[in-house]
Amino acid sequence: MQIHRVVRDLVTSKRNFWLASKSLRVVEDAGGNLEVALDPIGTKPGDYVVTIGISAARIAAGNPKITTDLTIGGIIDHWDENRWRN
Amino acid sequence: MKICQVEGTLVATARISGLQNRRLLVVKERGSSGKQVAVDPVGCKPGDWVIAVGSSAARDAAGSKDYPSDLTIVGIIDYWDDAAAKAGA
Repeated sequence: MQIHRVVRDLVTSKRNFWLASKSLRVVEDAGGNLEVALDPIGTKPGDYVVTIGISAARIAAGNPKITTDLTIGGIIDHWDENRWRN
Repeated sequence: MKICQVEGTLVATARISGLQNRRLLVVKERGSSGKQVAVDPVGCKPGDWVIAVGSSAARDAAGSKDYPSDLTIVGIIDYWDDAAAKAGA
């Protein structure tokens, strides 16, 4: 699992059937690389989150048929930028 | 399996139900600067050198096939001298 920060919401009206109507977020890692993660919790921009990758991401999404390789697993209570970058 | 050093615990109150109340730890993989988060079914302290499994083995190692983990700690290394390991000893 990795630590990401939520950047913003992502809207895709036309999408793969198995992505269903799950909400998506653009997240960034400590190096500033952007990725898209599925959000089953409801996060706000600026939240630090734990993201789950690979096949566990599909289980974390609530249904193993959902086609995702990155799912938000939880919102971190206390985290700061310095600890994240170094 | 990866060799990692435990940095500290991670508190995430708002989490998906599948993660249950398992302990999450921030770990640093040996030889890489980035931090990762691992599920800890063993009980580690900060500073411990541990071995962690990734991919689908992480799900089994966390206790069940339906547990959504992609990195799970499976053991604490009794003795690890990182400087000696780097020198090839």
